[in-house]
Amino acid sequence: MGSRAIAGVRTDTLPKIDRRSLVLGALAAPFVIGRAQAAESLKAYSIWPENYSRPMLEAFEKATGIHVNFIRFSSGEALARLLAERGNPQVDVLFGGPVETFTAGEEQGIFEAYTPPSAADLPKRFKSAQAMWTAIADDPLVFMTNTKFLQEHNLQPPTSWDDLLNPAYKGMLQMADARTSGTAVTRIFSILQVNNRNEDAGFAYMKKLRQNIQAYTKSGGGGTVPVGLGQAAGGIFFIVDALFTRQKGYDVQISFPKEGIGSAAECIGLVKGNKNGAAARKLIDWAASPDMQSLLAPSKINFLPAHPKVAPDPDLAAVLKQAKIIEIDDRWAGDNRKRIIDRWVAEVLNAG
Amino acid sequence: MAAQSIAIRLQGISAVFHHERRGDITAVKNLDLEVRPGEFLTLLGASGCGKTTTLRVIAGFQKPSSGRILFGDEDVTGLAANQRDIGFVFQNYALFPHLSVFENVAYGLRVKRQGAALIESSVDAGLRQVGLSGMGDRMINELSGGQQQRVALARAIAIRPRVLLFDEPLSNLDAQLRVQMRSEIVRLQKELAITTIYVTHDQEEAMAISDRIAIMDGGLIAQVGSAEELYLRPASRFVAGFLGSANLLRGTVVAVAATMTSIDILGHRWELAANNPVAAGRPVDAVIRPEALTLAKEGAGPRGRVESRTYYGDKAEYLVRVGTDLVQAVQWNPSADDAFSEGDLVCVKLPASNVQLLAVD
Amino acid sequence: MNASVQTIAPRPIVRPGAWLWRGGLLGIWLLLLIFIVYPLLMLLSRAFLDDGHLSLQALGAAITAPKNLRALGNSLLLATMVGVAGTLLGLVFAFTVERVRSAGRLARLIDFFTFLPLISPPFTTSIAFVFSFGPRGLITYELLGIKNVQVYGLTSTFAAETLTYFPIAYLALRPMLASISTSLEEAAFSLGGSRWHAFRTVTLPLVIPALANAFLLLFGCSLADFATPLILAGSDFSVLPTEAYLQITGMFDLKSGAILSLLLLVPAGLVFYTQERLVAGRSYVTVTGKAGVLAQHDSVSGIAGAALLGFCLLVSALIVYFYLLLFYASIVLAFGANHTLTLDHYRVIFSEGLPAIRDTLIIALIGMPLGGIYGIAIGYLVGRTTFISRKAMEVVSMLNYALPGTIVGIAYLLAFNDEPLALTGTAAILIACYVFRYSPIGIRTTVALLQQIDKSMEEASASLGAGSLVTFRRIMLPLILPAFFAGLGVVFIRSMTAISATIFLVSINWTLITVKILENMTEVALGPAAAFSVFVIVVVVLVTSLLNVLLQRLTAPSLRVGRIGA
Repeated sequence: MGSRAIAGVRTDTLPKIDRRSLVLGALAAPFVIGRAQAAESLKAYSIWPENYSRPMLEAFEKATGIHVNFIRFSSGEALARLLAERGNPQVDVLFGGPVETFTAGEEQGIFEAYTPPSAADLPKRFKSAQAMWTAIADDPLVFMTNTKFLQEHNLQPPTSWDDLLNPAYKGMLQMADARTSGTAVTRIFSILQVNNRNEDAGFAYMKKLRQNIQAYTKSGGGGTVPVGLGQAAGGIFFIVDALFTRQKGYDVQISFPKEGIGSAAECIGLVKGNKNGAAARKLIDWAASPDMQSLLAPSKINFLPAHPKVAPDPDLAAVLKQAKIIEIDDRWAGDNRKRIIDRWVAEVLNAG
Repeated sequence: MAAQSIAIRLQGISAVFHHERRGDITAVKNLDLEVRPGEFLTLLGASGCGKTTTLRVIAGFQKPSSGRILFGDEDVTGLAANQRDIGFVFQNYALFPHLSVFENVAYGLRVKRQGAALIESSVDAGLRQVGLSGMGDRMINELSGGQQQRVALARAIAIRPRVLLFDEPLSNLDAQLRVQMRSEIVRLQKELAITTIYVTHDQEEAMAISDRIAIMDGGLIAQVGSAEELYLRPASRFVAGFLGSANLLRGTVVAVAATMTSIDILGHRWELAANNPVAAGRPVDAVIRPEALTLAKEGAGPRGRVESRTYYGDKAEYLVRVGTDLVQAVQWNPSADDAFSEGDLVCVKLPASNVQLLAVD
Repeated sequence: MNASVQTIAPRPIVRPGAWLWRGGLLGIWLLLLIFIVYPLLMLLSRAFLDDGHLSLQALGAAITAPKNLRALGNSLLLATMVGVAGTLLGLVFAFTVERVRSAGRLARLIDFFTFLPLISPPFTTSIAFVFSFGPRGLITYELLGIKNVQVYGLTSTFAAETLTYFPIAYLALRPMLASISTSLEEAAFSLGGSRWHAFRTVTLPLVIPALANAFLLLFGCSLADFATPLILAGSDFSVLPTEAYLQITGMFDLKSGAILSLLLLVPAGLVFYTQERLVAGRSYVTVTGKAGVLAQHDSVSGIAGAALLGFCLLVSALIVYFYLLLFYASIVLAFGANHTLTLDHYRVIFSEGLPAIRDTLIIALIGMPLGGIYGIAIGYLVGRTTFISRKAMEVVSMLNYALPGTIVGIAYLLAFNDEPLALTGTAAILIACYVFRYSPIGIRTTVALLQQIDKSMEEASASLGAGSLVTFRRIMLPLILPAFFAGLGVVFIRSMTAISATIFLVSINWTLITVKILENMTEVALGPAAAFSVFVIVVVVLVTSLLNVLLQRLTAPSLRVGRIGA
């Protein structure tokens, strides 16, 4: 009859693996930090959504052979990460993202000064005085509304900030949460700027607007598809997200308030304590120059190029013709960012 | 095949049982016991008397708070259960559910690292001995209660231990199976000549299978002896009442002669050959078994009235009131001629010999 | 999720060699201290200390701040509602499956449907909800023609969480109902009164401890839920986990985040404590080496039975519909705008999303065996042996499981960001988070199984000459194999689907699919989010099926226990 193993356990059918080495190998693996890298590489946090950053960074790799390992965070998250990691920086570059995040970061001392060659061609508002960051694009805010909703309610696309206060929009607007999104911060500073920095007036408006808010989204573009689908009636977004929504096929209207609306420079910065300085600098050079920015239009990425030598996409330019873009004092914005956001959280967010 | 049988000795064993709410209970109190080599000794008692605790102490599952345990000449008190070379049959069988019958029985042999061929022959022989040949491949849950019991038995004896311990192994079986199984256990034990201690609360079982019985009560041994000794010569009221039924009839010893004792019981003078002579003038309780009492229509002796009659087919039981006493009598193979009905007046006759007298204190 | 922890009286047996014992025990305590106690201490210190001195000001301000109190209140309200509704729903399901005869064949189907929410990545229900019940929702607008429905807020969050978590109540209540012998009900029935009366006066009181336990489980789940409120709660209904997350990730306010976590800790701790007290002293069906008996059940009368069955099928259909919606969203270009069928999203997740897939699978596959082994090791220690710190070990090992994920995530972030143990950026921190957070299910199952194994089994083995190591290896281990597999299964499932703790721990080197889903959700790239979700569900179903098959093949028939994933 032969010897029998434990009944039910068919040991003859289980593969004979050297269990010990398997376990040891498995235990050792996680402690190997980082991966097998290509020739040269660097690490970045990208505030730009993947569908914008990936094509650009792949183009960079094609052009220079340098591989960029990146992970995407919204602006608030990225800033929080960099601050948390100050003692042990995990990345070399902060890629993309609205200027107010960069000025805040500059204040916290998380960047290292570096001036790319093309910085000489840029106007003052597109670079940090201490060379802590450089603009790689410009991104105006827009009003975006759902066409069907407008038709059903007999409305025209909003052309004034006050149009958004219309009771027809009650509970139907989506826009970004200032705690996590730079879009929101730019929006708030736009409102303050339109009110000539009269904070009380600005906040009074925002409190009224709160009544019409359906949801504050974590990321700047979070409300675009709901508006596109008609679940929300409208919102305030960066033009790059708004146009992307329209490109995807959603039926939306883009309009601008006659009082003016702000625009945020999209920037890049070298992280202090970076470990791949040479490669990082090459990326900054490339992004701040026409080398990258001339790729935006062909890729249908609707940022305005920051570099004067790059012409904006004609369609984009056409949309912006009607816009009154007002300038926000980035220094002032950076200095007061936390205070304004706190006030917004206390008075506007929690007022509902 | 069987190793040399050894004696088991318990000296001054006490065991304390810690209960969550009731605190420390002394389950066994300063117990002495000697089990002869190859003997089948039963620990008999009601639940809570300490018999199972005693068994578990012998097995090594419980540490005694004092005392020594000797297997043969070896003091095993400090040894762990797995080093004492015992075979233990549990009340719930404790068969390993994930192993087949064969593997269950082979378990102890595998632990000893015996060769495959030897294991196979031992297990087959063991299964044959308990009447389960060919069932080696079955899983435990496919077996009936009786079959599981036999596997447990085969498993315990497969390793040819020097001591066999049984903890109420048959209590979960139905009556008929119990009778069948117990004779098999006895047969096996005699064949293997392993010193055995058996725990049960069933007195009929104890009497049927044991060489000797130790009756326990409250952590102490009340009496040790063969079934006959305990039945006919109980040393205490407790033992007398525990084994079978007994009439305890108060009487006074009048005179003690060489072989006969004069004693007043039930208001009548009797001359009997008592088992144990007691000094004259003492009050005693005479242990009279119901089957030893005779009932007659007429005769010299105390008269009583039949209070109840229960007919069992092979016997008839009577309760007769004599004066203030209520005595039990049993009539075997009753016929219509000597049947009595309720309310009848009868004459009660005590046996002339083999009467156990217990001193009254 | 919170645990229902059973405390059992230890059953002393002979111990393995003293040094092996002590060394192993010390090793385990070291692990527990590093990965459970230390992070929580760091969290507490961040909340209570300011530059080294005790500062209760910030804490006091935070506790009394109206917005925080409101978040706390909302969290408690939501959790209570979900607890009650989910328990009732679970009870209806359990009752239908166990007591309605015609449900018999459909029981397996219902089992599968209720299994789905348990293994799904986060946001599944939320996404489906928004698409179905929003202002342009498929059900509200397209089907029912209701306009301007508000989908964000308490009602939706409550409904979504109830549908997500009621399977837990179902799984907790079903064995309870199954094990109640019909003879009890028959006895009541024979004494007069209707079946409903028998149910109310006999069955229900016996089920009440299980009901309370189910309520606590669901209460804890809702309390800790981060993902659903993030999508559905809207800005009017803030809850603590989401607030803590936004404070930390948005405002870099680790201190506020830590304090908010503490606010969450109090109700969570109470729930945990109540469960301990409640469940202590429950009795179990025993495995004593004798064959068991299956309880037969009677059916509920025709109309009532049909109604119950119909209701359950309706709810199950709703759940299935959500998953179909998810699948549909993954194969159309732009849900709601462009319904061209495409495999583009899948292409995207397997090319751009491949690092996340690879990372998640690696972490899950490493964490699995670690979690399984850790589970039975601790389960055996606290369930079967005695040593001085046994009770303490039992409690500590449960902590990371009992606490909401947000708390654990923040604690790990604080603890392992700097020296002496800088683990952020590694896979180790993610694996450790999963192992120490989800193994308690394996621990609990091990303990429960051990409770069912009669002590006489070990004594029998000892009587046959086996030392304690041999006994453990040849008797105990095979019998607690199901617990090992349960541990494997849970850690794997959670590694694939968890987010609330690990969202704080992803890095440039290691990222997770669930975080990618969230990213895609917030960037409103619904296609890839849905594709990722479908991928996760498929992988989890495959792996758990595999584990189940393996388990069935490895265990003796008399030991079959429930399926993995429960």
